[in-house]
This record gives sequence, C-alpha cells and structure tokens, in this order.
Amino acid sequence: MHNKHIRRIYMIPYALWITLFVITPIILVGYYSFFDIEGNLSIVNYQKFFTPVYLKMTLSSFWYAFLITLISLIIAYPTAFFLTKTKHKQLWLLLIIVPSWVNLLLKAYAFIGIFGKYGPTNYFLEWIGIGTKQILFTDFSFIFVAVYIFIPFMILPIFNALNELSPSFIDAANDLGASRWATFRRVIFPLTLDGVKTGCQIVFIPALSLFMLTRLIAGNRVITLGTAIEQHFLVTQDWGMGATIAVFLMLIMFIFMILTGKDV
Amino acid sequence: MENTTIIEFHHVKKKYDDDIVLDDVTFEMERGKFYTLLGPSGCGKTTILRLIAGFTEATSGEIFLDGKKVNTIPANKRKVNTVFQDYALFPHLNVFENIAFGLRMKKMKQAQIEVKVKEALQFVNLAGYENREIEQMSGGQRQRVAIARAIVNEPDVILLDEPLSALDLKLRTQMQYELRELQKRLGITFVFVTHDQEEALAMSDEIFVINEGKIQQSGTPIDIYDEPINRFVADFIGESNIVQGKMIQDFLVSFVGQTFNCVDQGMKPNEAVEIVIRPEDLEITPTEKGKLKVEIQSVLFRGVHYEINAIDDAGNNWLIHTTKKVIIGEKIGLSFTAESIHVMRHDETEEEFDKRLGAYMEGESNA
Repeated sequence: MHNKHIRRIYMIPYALWITLFVITPIILVGYYSFFDIEGNLSIVNYQKFFTPVYLKMTLSSFWYAFLITLISLIIAYPTAFFLTKTKHKQLWLLLIIVPSWVNLLLKAYAFIGIFGKYGPTNYFLEWIGIGTKQILFTDFSFIFVAVYIFIPFMILPIFNALNELSPSFIDAANDLGASRWATFRRVIFPLTLDGVKTGCQIVFIPALSLFMLTRLIAGNRVITLGTAIEQHFLVTQDWGMGATIAVFLMLIMFIFMILTGKDV
Repeated sequence: MENTTIIEFHHVKKKYDDDIVLDDVTFEMERGKFYTLLGPSGCGKTTILRLIAGFTEATSGEIFLDGKKVNTIPANKRKVNTVFQDYALFPHLNVFENIAFGLRMKKMKQAQIEVKVKEALQFVNLAGYENREIEQMSGGQRQRVAIARAIVNEPDVILLDEPLSALDLKLRTQMQYELRELQKRLGITFVFVTHDQEEALAMSDEIFVINEGKIQQSGTPIDIYDEPINRFVADFIGESNIVQGKMIQDFLVSFVGQTFNCVDQGMKPNEAVEIVIRPEDLEITPTEKGKLKVEIQSVLFRGVHYEINAIDDAGNNWLIHTTKKVIIGEKIGLSFTAESIHVMRHDETEEEFDKRLGAYMEGESNA
C-alpha cells in the first residue's frame, strides 16, 4: 500500500510534463488547424496543403532531410568504426560530441563568417587560384552546415552499437571463412543496424523541420516545412495554416518512426 | 599421403607489448586425437588456440598446419574452425543460417547446403531445430549449434575454447561424453582449452599442462596424473601432498625424517627432491602399523569419500581420501606403497624428464 502511494508521487512530474508540454500542445495544434485566417471553422487549410505549393515544399523538406541523413550516415559509420578501434576511444568520441553542446545559432553565425564573401574559405579558394565563389546561401552550404550540426547525433548511437558488438562475432565470421568485406556485410552491419536506425531517426526528424538554418545559411532559398510553419505563425499570422502544416509534419515523423522502429 | 602431424609449433613466442604470453613453445599434435590445453587463466592456453585459428600472429617462431607454414595466413583461409567460449552464434541469423554461414562463404549450392546443415544438426542431436532463433535455444542447445557450425565445414582441426564453462555441472558432464564421442566418430583433431583438470583427464588423448607461457608437461592423462614433472603440475592436476625430500640413491628416498623404498631412479645421490603422494594412495592403519603417524585435524564428507586433513609430528599437513570414518583428534597410521611415492626433481625440463623415465623403462624391460 505504502509503495503504491510513493509510486504515485513519483509519477506527478511526469504526468504534469506530458499533459502540459505534449498532450495540450498537440491538441491545440490540431484545434487551430481547423480555423481559416479569418477565424472561421473550416477545412480549407487541409485543402490548401494538397496544392502544388505545399506539396512541393513537403517534397523538398523530405529531400533535404534525406540528403542530410544520408551524408551524415556515410561519414558517421566509418568514423564510429574507426573510433572503436582507437586506444582512447571515449576521449576521441567526447571531442566529436563537445561541439554539439554549443548553441546551434552560434554555430550558424560562425559559418556565416567562415563561408562569407570575405571569409577564410573564399580567402583559401582565392589563394589556390580558384577565385572567390558564392558559398553562403547555396544548397551546398545548407547541407554542409546541417550535416556538421547533426553528425554527433549520428555517430553516437552507431559508436555504441559497434562498441557493444562482441569481438568474438568478428572472429567467428573470420573463422568461418568470411573475408573482411563479407564479415562487414553479413555480420557487423546487420548487428549494428539498430544503432544506424536510431541515428537516422534523431537526424532525419529534426532535419525535416529545420528552419533557422534555412534563413541564415541558405538565405531562404531552401523552404522547408519548418520554415513554412515559422512564416505562418510569425509573418502571415495564419495560425491555422501553420498548425495544419505542423499536423502533417507530426504525421510524417510518426510514420518515419514506425518505419525505422526496432523489430519487436 | 597424409601427414600424421597436423599442428606443429616451433619455438613460438607471443608478446603483447612487453608482456610475454607464450615463451618459446614447441610441440606437435597428431591427426585425429583429442588434445587438451590445461592451465590456470592467463597461462597462455587461449593464446595458443588463437594462434592456431589465426586470430593473432606469433611474435616469433613458426606454426605449421598440415605441414604448411601458416604464420601469415589469415583465419578465413585456414582449415580450422573454432567453438567459442561464448559460442559467438550470430543473433540475427537462425540456427540454419548460423550453421550454413561457413558453407555460404564457400559459395556452396543451396541444395547441398541444406543437406549438409541437416547432417550436422543430426550429428549434434538437434534435428528439426533449423528454423529456431538463437535466443530461443538453451545454453546446451546453443553449445551444440556452435559445434555443428564448426563441424559442417569439415575442417582438419576443431578448436574449443572452454566451451563447457557456461553450462551447469550435470549438462557439463553429459557434454563431456558427447564431445568425446563426437570426436571419435568424426576423427577430426580436437584442441580443447580448459582450466578444469577433471574435464581434461576425462576427455583427452593427450594433455598439455601450461603455466606462465610455457608447456610444463605433456602426456596422456594417466602419465600426467601418475608422474607429474613438478610441483605446479602435481598441484594443478588432482590433489596432492607435496613434501621436501632427498634421494639417497636409486630406489631409496628420505622424507619427513624417514627412509622409504620407491621406484624412482636416475638422480644424483643425495639430490634434493620433492615428493608427491596422492590423497587416495594414503591408507589408514592402526598407529603401530603405519609408515607415518598423524593426528586428524578435520574431516569433510565429500559424498564418495571423506576428505581428511591430518598433521604429522614434524608438522607436515597430509590430505587423505578414504571411505573409512575417523574421529577428529584421533591418532592414526598412514601406509602407502613404493609405487605411490612420486619423486620430482627441481627444475627438470620435460626433455630430461622423458629421458630419465625412458631410461628406466628400458631397464625394466631388460631385467
């Protein structure tokens, strides 16, 4: 009996948190999505979402999030693999993680400097004879900075999966005649797939709704769903449409989570 | 023609950084026998296994498999398969695919793989378990899958790294029988690593006792039990009473202040030696008939026998295994035969030891 009471007390912060910051906002977003800009109850927002403008935006959000995830994965897997082989692996890992503690905006501003017309990158290009290029406000800079920001979150779960992989599995594959490549393809990768899935989730989902970077680094040339929501709430004041996009964003995230979820 | 020697180590050394794990190890193993590498943890026995498998490279020396030098040949190119201590069964593959793994690597045809896997499963009494997931299998079943995964490749040698250590006593004993039986049926060389001396004695054709990176003694279980070369082997294999003594002359040894007849020879006169008497070779007699007089300190009931700890007048401890019941504090006599006195020389190498033993074997046959 006593234990039950204590458990209930422990539950209070969790219950409060979930109600105030998860359930209520979702209900509010759902509620607002049914009001047009004049404040009338309607489903016009949902109809608007299926017009080419928004569908294109959704597609481009997807495309950029996909590229960011893919490039992060391509860089993160070998990096994590290499890290597990080093002597002071925890230290090297920490060095990669530390930048992720720095505020995202600060890092974005830093890249404005680095990629700017008179920044060190262009200075270097000038020096090797290529000449000054427009780097900032391009797709390239947007993806580059996004990958830079997300990569620790991709490395960490993959590193953990590789680190927990018992070396005797690799010995066993080797023992049974598998080459290095076959060992990787048939044993190491399948056994670290959970880490890869987790990494993709924590990169892809936030990448879908990136918005500050799109303005600061991509100069609003890249419009994602995140940017659209921000614009509707802060600029056009069309809360209904903003909420509708948010509903779809949540749906997409939810579907992605199911698709990359671990097998039960 | 086939070589009778399947594995050969020639002055093999292995260092990790500055740690010498194997120190100048030389031995040969014959085809089709059951070998056991026996020693305490950290003695280097697993390193020998890993060298044979190809998971690690020797610092110096030569390793031959079937007459071919294999020092730099990687594990995946050796006709050797391993049963790992933790089995290392791939958790993402089912029983069938685990066993088929090696065959798939050889690009064998599916139909043939199916036949072979089925055969291997039958061999380890797991027919019908093809589609089980590894996590659905019990410890003993996983053990069998690991063995099937090794034998299906028809290797020259199967290496077993303490494969029974995770099983409970009953299952372990059963698997000892099964492994021995399997080895006989297959006729493949087994190299078995263990720190359990009973396991080693029960299963092996030949045992290598290893300590501190060196082979201390090799021989049949009976040889090693009856004629341990030094204190380490005597202590590690079975239980023993070890006392300091002196070899007066051939067949005459003195210890605990008395002189006894024995069957050992070939030492220098008055050479200092160590004497081993196994606890089961000590017989309890009335005090006046005993060769030694001891007082009983403790008695432990072990099921099949009593384990008695006694102390003689000179203060030496004696461990006795007997089925007779005795009382603590009682004075008894201990009797033993000349054959049960085992004399060990200090720092005798295995070579010298074999030579000395060989010499008096000849002596006996001439007489």
